[in-house]
Amino acid sequence: MEQKRGRNLFFHFILIFYVIICLGPLVWLAMSSFKTPLEITLSPWGFPDSFHFENYINAWQEASISTFFFNSLFIALATCVISLLVGAAAAFALARMKFQKASLGMYQFFLLGLVVPGGALLIPLYSVITSLGLYNTRVALVLLYVTFSLPVTIFILVAFMRSIPRELEEAGVMDGIGPFGLFVKIILPMTAPALSTVFILNFINSWNEFVMALLFTADKAMRTLPVGMNALKTAYQTDYALLSAGVMYSIVPVIIIFLILQKQVIAGITAGSVKG
Amino acid sequence: MNSVLKRPAVFALFLLPAVLFYVVFMIYPIGEAIYDGFTKWNGVSEKNFIGLDNYIRLFQDSLFWDSLLRNFWFIVFAIVIQLPIIVFVALLISKVGRRFQSFYRTAVFTPVILSTAIVGILFLFIYAPDVGLLNNFLKAVGLDSWTHYWMSDPNVNFLMILIANAWQWDGFYIIIVLAAILNIPKELDESAEMDGANIFQRTAYITLPLIRPILIVVLLLSVAGSMKALDAVLVMTNGGPFHSTEVMATYMIKVGFQQFEYGYGSAIAVMIFLFTLIVSMLVQLLNRKDVEY
Repeated sequence: MEQKRGRNLFFHFILIFYVIICLGPLVWLAMSSFKTPLEITLSPWGFPDSFHFENYINAWQEASISTFFFNSLFIALATCVISLLVGAAAAFALARMKFQKASLGMYQFFLLGLVVPGGALLIPLYSVITSLGLYNTRVALVLLYVTFSLPVTIFILVAFMRSIPRELEEAGVMDGIGPFGLFVKIILPMTAPALSTVFILNFINSWNEFVMALLFTADKAMRTLPVGMNALKTAYQTDYALLSAGVMYSIVPVIIIFLILQKQVIAGITAGSVKG
Repeated sequence: MNSVLKRPAVFALFLLPAVLFYVVFMIYPIGEAIYDGFTKWNGVSEKNFIGLDNYIRLFQDSLFWDSLLRNFWFIVFAIVIQLPIIVFVALLISKVGRRFQSFYRTAVFTPVILSTAIVGILFLFIYAPDVGLLNNFLKAVGLDSWTHYWMSDPNVNFLMILIANAWQWDGFYIIIVLAAILNIPKELDESAEMDGANIFQRTAYITLPLIRPILIVVLLLSVAGSMKALDAVLVMTNGGPFHSTEVMATYMIKVGFQQFEYGYGSAIAVMIFLFTLIVSMLVQLLNRKDVEY
């Protein structure tokens, strides 16, 4: 027993060290965001002398983080809503309707999307986006994010919808409800837990996406947070205080979501992968 | 009675939106990338079909080979450095009490949920020569001579990107491996303990063999992950200085979006596809061979 306790203490010791590596940089960033640039240089380790909220105000106004923030928010929310509707409709057909062979084939087709490296399609996507007249629009990013979120959305929703018992549906059919009624009134409400997992997952992914937003927008007014921050890092090269505050705007919302809804976030992010 | 769920038109209608998204933004682009790889095209002019010329050029392009090699390094780094750390940390977490497990789970997973581009910017601060965390730390512990201009020194900059990438993603793999370990029936471990097997023996002869399938998954994912690293490279060095951190995807972006050689860029895109495919197949093949023993 004694030996076991000593062993556990040793395990915790190593794990705490690892946790410091994981979280230390974020804590350091948070502290830097409240310092003056001079303070960052003179005392990189210490707590800030006083909290300089002006970094946040300057980043929000002068450095147009507000624009980037609302672009990211709009794009992420629109992506979530559309991919949920489109994905749930497809999952309903695949999981609940009675076309076994066709369903299996289509399901495999959608899952193939899991292995397509989006990064390899940037050049043809650029020409698709420009020929649709969508270059430099938020809509373009929403459409692309919806597409690349569909594989995992469908994967998670189909798995969940398959587990819903038939009886409810059959009762609905007896009452004379049509397929759309079954989808909206019976299946969707019962899928709520999976829908929320998918919603959060897609929100985080769209909020974080970088390379498409970088290549398919041109104006400052269209930039998302990661792209905007990438530009600011050159423009405000030496003002680490302001840059740290800017980075905080990007990471604090997802960290809050994560802390509140840990289970869904972890389930969502790891779901598409463990399939093998 | 179930005829409601047997109408083909309804079935098609429900699938149509998703199929449209796939066709326009995934299937068609894949086809176009493959076709464009055989053309010379600057995005404006007529497409000129030139057969295999782009691929012949690729084989002679040392910048391409260097960037492919760096993609490969991502995988080697994952196997040699990251995997042992991931398994070790997951094993430790699995041994501590439940209350602590959820704390450690949250802590190690936090970097995973951040934007890879934003993590790139964060690590630019950490690696900053004057005010950065890393150089300050080295000075604080008396290793002044180890300080570097981390991002501009071609000897270390790519390694530093690999480390930033590992910092962000290890938590993801730890959670997957941890789930596999916790899935092993407790009785196995307990009965071995009764028989007098110590913790190292139990780990080596029970836990590790049983989680081997998931380790293969982790390897596969790290192959896909080496493609995701594009964001970090773009933000931290944009492939420079002098192409010293170029990976296939950043090279493709330079060729396509800066030199407007869409045809040649598409040929690189096809190679990215093939690279991903071949490495995943190799990993699976190795796995299969193992099973025969």
